[in-house]
Order: sequence, then structure tokens, then C-alpha cells
Amino acid sequence: MTLVSRDGARRVNPVRRFVRRPGRLAAEATALLTAAVVAFPLYWMVLSAFKPAGEIESTEPRPWTLAPTLDSFRRVFGQQEFGRYFVNSVVVAVAVVIASALIAFLAATAVTRFRFRLRTTLLIMFLVAQMVPVEALTIPLFFLMRDAGQLNTLWSLILPHIAFSLPFAIWMLRGFVKAVPEALEEAAYMDGASRTRFLWQILFPLVLPGLVATSVFSFISTWNDFLFAKSFIISDISQSTLPMALLVFYKPDEPDWGGVMAASTVMTIPVLVFFVLVQRRLVSGLGGAVKD
Amino acid sequence: MVAQNTVVVEHKRPARSTAPAPRTPRGRRAGRTPWLYLAPALVVLGGLLAYPIYQLGLISLFHYTQAQVSGGEPTTFEGLGNYRELFADEQFWHVLLATVLFAAACVVCTLAVGCALAVLLTRVRAVPRLALMLAALGAWATPAITGSTVWLFLFDADFGPVNRVLGLGDHSWTYGRFSAFFLVLLEVVWCSFPFVMVTVYAGIRAVPSEVLEAAALDGASQWRIWRSVLAPMLRPILVVVTIQSVIWDFKVFTQIYVMTNGGGIAGQNLVLNVYAYQQAFASSQYSLGAAIGVVMLLILLAVTLVYLRLLRRQGEEL
Amino acid sequence: MKLSARLVAVAAVLVTAACAPQTSGTSSSDKDEKTGTLRVWLFQEVNNKPKEQVVDSVLAGFEKAHDGTEVTVEYIPVETRAQRIKAAFNDPKSAPDLIEYGNTDTAGYVQDGGLADITEEFEAWDEAEDTDPTARQSVTVDGKVYGAPYFVGVRALYYRTDVFEELGLDVPKTQAELISTAQRIRAAKPEMYGIAVGGAYTYGAMPFIWAHGGELATGKGGSYASAIDSADARKGIEAYTSLFGDDNCPAAKCAGMGGNDTVTAFASGKAAMAIGGDFSHAAVEAGKVKGKYAVVPLPGVESGSIAPAFAGGNNLGVLKSTSHRTLAVDLMKRLASKEAQGKLFDGMGFLPTFSDVRRQAAAKEPFVKPFVETLAADTKFVPASPAWAQIDSSLVLPTMFQEIVSGKKDVATASKDAAEKMNEAFGSVG
Repeated sequence: MTLVSRDGARRVNPVRRFVRRPGRLAAEATALLTAAVVAFPLYWMVLSAFKPAGEIESTEPRPWTLAPTLDSFRRVFGQQEFGRYFVNSVVVAVAVVIASALIAFLAATAVTRFRFRLRTTLLIMFLVAQMVPVEALTIPLFFLMRDAGQLNTLWSLILPHIAFSLPFAIWMLRGFVKAVPEALEEAAYMDGASRTRFLWQILFPLVLPGLVATSVFSFISTWNDFLFAKSFIISDISQSTLPMALLVFYKPDEPDWGGVMAASTVMTIPVLVFFVLVQRRLVSGLGGAVKD
Repeated sequence: MVAQNTVVVEHKRPARSTAPAPRTPRGRRAGRTPWLYLAPALVVLGGLLAYPIYQLGLISLFHYTQAQVSGGEPTTFEGLGNYRELFADEQFWHVLLATVLFAAACVVCTLAVGCALAVLLTRVRAVPRLALMLAALGAWATPAITGSTVWLFLFDADFGPVNRVLGLGDHSWTYGRFSAFFLVLLEVVWCSFPFVMVTVYAGIRAVPSEVLEAAALDGASQWRIWRSVLAPMLRPILVVVTIQSVIWDFKVFTQIYVMTNGGGIAGQNLVLNVYAYQQAFASSQYSLGAAIGVVMLLILLAVTLVYLRLLRRQGEEL
Repeated sequence: MKLSARLVAVAAVLVTAACAPQTSGTSSSDKDEKTGTLRVWLFQEVNNKPKEQVVDSVLAGFEKAHDGTEVTVEYIPVETRAQRIKAAFNDPKSAPDLIEYGNTDTAGYVQDGGLADITEEFEAWDEAEDTDPTARQSVTVDGKVYGAPYFVGVRALYYRTDVFEELGLDVPKTQAELISTAQRIRAAKPEMYGIAVGGAYTYGAMPFIWAHGGELATGKGGSYASAIDSADARKGIEAYTSLFGDDNCPAAKCAGMGGNDTVTAFASGKAAMAIGGDFSHAAVEAGKVKGKYAVVPLPGVESGSIAPAFAGGNNLGVLKSTSHRTLAVDLMKRLASKEAQGKLFDGMGFLPTFSDVRRQAAAKEPFVKPFVETLAADTKFVPASPAWAQIDSSLVLPTMFQEIVSGKKDVATASKDAAEKMNEAFGSVG
């Protein structure tokens, strides 16, 4: 029945019916205003990317530009191996998203659908694992990667990112796995399904929306990561990722703000696209976490 | 509470009659299966997280700078020397206090804004909802380093549009300690409320509509509905977003580093993570940095454990 | 499966790990191969093309001269240099043979055991004798040479010709005049800063300290002692911090500014004067004040004197771990040669480190004249101690200036506290 109501929720907004009209108009105005405020910094970022050099820091800031230029974008795309950076970023992000989703799914199933010694301890460990300041861990990780011979390969980014997304993914996925009724599992076993079959053919599809929701986190943190990218990819520029193309513009004495904004715009767009693609699932997915 | 009435049928492996009764109805004699499922996660986490954390603890007990790392000088065991140095530093305690207060303010504001907007989302039609959702997702997707730079631009005393619009002349937002913290707080809330909003919104949508209708028919105010109906039902979600916000906001780094130029006028806006970076990593005093990392870890751990304990006392299950 | 192989590799490392923090031995390589591939890291500039062209022409000559060699050049973002170069010291396998590095990092890198001592080769290099003394000092630690200067950057006084003309002002000849001129401009034009200064602009403040006879630290080699709280240094600090206030550059605005912010203020027309580098020229040209400004050396205390400037810039250095030492040193000399530096100036505007090449450059490009004059007068360098990196990154001096201008501490107390922090750092690396 849990599943039925979740599907139902997608079709009709349950809350709408009881909201009175004038209240709704006020609410909608507030929502639009908030949206404008929230989007304004983004607008400013894109705007600055298109502004000519002298206009970005001018004593008369205008929320428009009369002379839009692609110069900043040209500097971004004109970088050595920019396309390569982009592909690398996609490869790393996709690998991390898929691997962490699968591993977290298994682990979340284990900690929610079974009861065993150390279960609570493990859960707390997963929580604790998220608390380590990442900056502090780069040194030990660097040596680990070096001794394993993985420095300068995309693996040196993929593996740590999987490890850093896992605890949160497991923690989030618990709710989704819990939401799948126990009865369903029993019924599956009655029908003679094996545990593996139940896991992949029944549980997995049901938890998929939750997986999408958690993937958003691993995707963003991997996509936007500077720290590992500049610590582990040392000598092989062909293995660098997009943030390196952004950092070029942060020069201590003469930062190129136009370039920073253009590169940021270029970096943000794929994430936004990803978001828009999964938006529906994200919302319906996260909703599952509340079900019990 | 679906499973409440389900008969626990042991499958494959008959339950031993002497087995102690499981604590919850979901309990099941599990055998090796859960460990099998956990194995990949444990391997990855053990190798790439637990082991580095162990190394971190180890480093914090040595004298360990770049010269030791690259083999220029031998490492020497210091015992708790790094911790002693840290605790003897008056500034450390100031920074610690600022960090706790700042993180708390960020968490409260993020949760308040996120929850309020989530409720708002449920009360509007598709177009405003989509607009707000997209704007929020955009804020979420922006890299922290860029978000901080843009916010700094917007509030720049000379070149920013905000002072223009508010008619503040060339008021500097980063000069005063509190106004600088406030500016950073705005950015932190801006980039972290979307997570709370989307999650809580999703949670509200999953609440059966009859419940809300009943409450509305009783003439309850929005605030009341939230307090007495939604909040209790959303508790598991609120637990998750609160814990996550605490963890993230306590570790704020990029925003402070970029927006207050490495810790503000005379270091007035330092928080632990930036302090650690300046004291340690920027000048390669890794052992001191590791000690700060360990201290941060312990503080977060304590906060979370207290929180979980409170939850458990109220009957919540992990 | 490939992934499992990777995991096994990681696991194998975990199993064999001992219980002491890991280190790596960057002992110098005893190999000196005369053929093979050389790896070079240079900094990536925002507009990198001209630099690449200069480097490529040098490489063509190098590869022709040494049969069977090949050079791969990587341009790395300046922002990531610390991680990259330290990582290279820690993992000789990924380390390049030759790197470009900021000259304030020299002592730190030497302490880390990363750079090769090339004193002999440098002494034997015929072009080296024209290297100006400060540039030479920037590659020297304890009397040994660890690289070749690549270019220098130096700061001078930018001022608005139109504003000075309108108010009938003369270009200041002493620091006292500089301060009074700045205040007169501010009084006449309250929307402008007389001179834009920044509490976090250490390199803009140093000339004031040096001009008054102060020093950041005194000593040689490993044993430096801070001199920032000496009477002379305090006079300089007093002079610099007197520029913060409503009569020139309000503390609320200027305490937090860094060097780049002051140049931006000038370029956008917010300031009548600023202390900017030769490298700031392009930014100012792109701003509103194009065609309305001129540059002179920053005056000293005595009339007509030039305040000692900080000589920033980059060096090229050979890594200790290289297995192609002879080749790498030769390539370094070629990249930092007079000819290459001259071309680099034409393409990028970077000032050459050879006095004679610099004079030729000044003849070609009038705008660099004041910078060349400044370099010719007197330049100083930060203490050649590995502790400097620590002092710099823990913001000891910006904190001191900010404490003074925000009224938290007076000059004597703030400089004493800063001196203590500096001495602690000097002591910890000794």
C-alpha cells in the first residue's frame, strides 16, 4: 500500500485541495520572488561571463550588458586539452555514480532488512565516516595511491570518491529500502524466488528512485571536486578534470574573473541538465525516505 | 508500519527456538548474507576511508612536515605534543567557539529556510513550483568556489549591485566580524537549503493527503499543521537533513576561505577547517593539521552521538 | 576484471603498511642519462599562447642539439602548484625533471629536499654573470644555487595624470609627500581613495618598511630572527598604516584588500594612486583609466630616492630526482637564456632577470622604464628561510596590518606579536 500511495502522490497534489485561493496567490508570488532571489547570483555569474573585460568590475554595476562577448568562453575552450578534461570529468562522475549506487544498495539492504550483531555500530560508523575533514585525508590517501601505483590515473579520483560518497548514500538509502514492504519479500520467497533474484529483480527496481536521489549527491561532489583532482593527478595532464580548467583563472595577482565565470557556467550546465533530467525522480524518490 | 503485523517467516533456515527474540519485528536470523551484501562497501570504506583515518591519527602523534614526507628529515614520535601545542594556543579556543556558533547558525537558518520553502512548494501551482525548484537546483549545482566568488561580487563595496539597490553607498560587508560572518552565512544557506527543501518537499508529498485535509478541515493554521502533523511524520527525514547539515556546516571551508580572504580582517572570521588549513596544510605542518582534523572528528562524533541518543530515548530506531 | 585488480593493488598496500606515517626518499638519482624524455612543468598563464611559442622555439633548438631526446612540457595552473610540486617531491615517478616555481618558494623547496644544487653549472654559465644580484639571491640558499631566475616582477607607483593635473599636484618625491598628496586628493575628491592600499597587501607594504631602514628579519641561513618590531620597521609600519583612514582609504574598505583589489580600484577609477606591478599593466589598460595614468618608482624617505621594492618573480629549477641531470640543466639554461627571456618579454611582458636584457627591454617599451629603474635602484627579497612559506601562509603580516588599522592593537603591540609568531616559525624549521 505504501507503493500505491507514492504513485498516487505523483498524480494529484494532495495538499492543493485544501488551500484557499487568496492564500495561494500570495504563496505563488512569494515563490516566484524567492526563485528570483535565489537565481540572481546564477544570473550574475552568467552575465559576468558575457561581459567584456572592463565591465565586470566597474563602479556602475549594471544587471545587463550592451556589449556581450564570447571572449571569456573562448579563453575557457581555448585551453590545452579542454575537451579531454570534460570527457574525464564525465567518466569519473559516471563511474562513481554507478559504483557507489550499486555498492550502497547492497549495504543499505544489509543494514535494513537484516538484524545482526554490530548492525548499529556499523550504522554509526557510516555516519562518522562522513565527518572527517577531507582536506586532512589527502596526505594519507596520496601515499595510498602512490604505493598502489594509481597516481595520475582516473582511478585515483574514482576510488576515493566512491569511498566518500558511500556513507551518505547508504545512510540515505536505508529509508527507501525500509519502505518496501516485508510482505513483498515473503511473497517473493513463497513463489520460489531466490534471495539474489528478489534483490535484483524486485527490490532494486523499487528502490531505483531513491538511488537516483542519492546519485545526485555523489555526482555533484565528484563533479565539483578540486582537492583530489589537484592532489592526485600530478604529472599526466591528459587525466585532469574540469575544475583544473577553472583554477587556471584564479591567479593570485591577476585573477581573470570573466574566465572564472565562464568556466563556472560551463561546469554548472551539465549538472543542471542532470538535475532537470532526474528532477521528477529526485522528488518522488526522496519522498520514499519518509515512508516507514 | 507495514511490517508490524507481518508474520516473520523464516526462509531456508528455520529459526532456532533458543534464539533470543529479535528487538524489532523485522529482525531475522541473518547468517552470512548481510555480511556478503556489506562486503563491497566494507572493502572500499576500510581501504580508502578507515585506513587513511588511522594514518591521520598516527600522523598527529609524530612531528611530520613536508621535510619528513619527502624524506629530507627523519620522522620523530611526539606523543601528544601536537595536541598539547594546539590546546595551549589561545586562538584555537576562540576559533573553536566561533566555529560552533557559526555552524549552529548555518544549520538553523538552512533548516528554517528549507522547511519553509518546502511547505510553500506544496501550496503553489506548477509554474512557480518549477521556477523555485530550478533556481534552487541551480544554486545546489554551482561549485562552492564560484558561488562564493559571485556572492562576494554581489556584495562588493565598490562594484556590487546589492549596495546600489539598498542605497548603502560603499558600506563594506567584510570589515565587521558579524557582517562578514553574516555574508558567508547567506552564501552557505543559499547553497545548502536546496537539499533540505527538496528532501522535505518530497517527504510532505508522500504524506497521505487525508491527514492534511483532516487537519485543514479542523481549521488548523499552517504553523500548527507543521508542528503537530507534518513535523512528526517527517521526523526521519528531518533527522537526516539535520545531521547532514551539522556535518557539512561544521566543515565549511571554501566559503570562508574565499569570501573572507583566508579568515577575515586579522583572522576574525576563522573557522576550524580554515584554521587547520592555514596552521597546517598551507605550510605543510601536516602533523598539526592532522591533530586538528582528529579534534574536529571527535567533536562531530560527540554531537552526533548525543543527538542519536536523544532520538533513541524518544523511541526512534536507527 | 580491471577494477578488482586495482582493488587488489590497494589492498596489498594496506596489508604491508607499517605503523609509522609514510615517507618517501627523494635521494638524488645517481643516473645521468643522455637520451630519453625530459618532463618540464611551467606555469600556465591566463593568456598562455605567446609563452608556449617562446618555449617551443627553445625546445626545437634543444632537441636538435641533443640527439635522441624529447621534451614534454606541461602547463600547470598556478593555483595548484603547491599540491603538484609537493606531490612531485613525494613521488619521483611522476616528478618532472625541470620546474618553474615562484621565487618565494625557493627556501621551502630546498628544505623539502626537492631541488638539485646546481652551483657549479650556474657558475660556469657565461650568461649568469649579468643576472642581477636580487634575482640571484632568489635562487640562492646558504650560498648554494638552486635554479636559474626566469623573470622578475616588481611594483611601482601608478598615478592618475588627469587627477594630478586637475588638482595641480606634483608627483610625490618622498613617502611623506606621498601621504600628504593622497590626503589632498581624498579631501578634494571624496569619492576616490588618494592611494589604494590594502591590509592584506604585504608586498605593497614592504617598501615602506624597507625605506625606513627596517627589515622583515635579520640573519643568514637557518638562523633568522624577526626584525619587524625594530624601531625602524615600526616607523615604516606606521607610515603605511597611516594611509588607512577616512582621509585616504577608509579602514572599513581597505583593511581587507589585497594587492589585486588595490589595482582593481585604480583600474576602475576608484583610486588616484596605487602600488602595482609590471604584471598589473594589462589589467589597468583594460580598465577605465586607460590613457589617463603614468607610472613612477615608489619614492623613498629621502627626496628623489626610490623605496626598495620586493623582487618577485619565477625561477626554473632542476629536480633532485631527475635521471637526466646534465640534459635538464642544459634545458634550464636555454629556457632562461638572455635570448629566451628577451622573447618572453616581447610576448608576455615578463621582465628579464639580466640587467642588460632588461635595459634593452626598457628601451623598446617605455612603460617598463619605472619598473626597470626600481629594479636598478634597490630591491629586496623575503628571508631565504623555509619558515617564510609558513609565515606567509599563516598570514602573519596581513594580520598585523589589519590589527593596527582596525584599531585592535597599536603598532608596538601588533609588531611585537607578529615578531613572536615569526620567530616561532623560524625556530621550528631551524
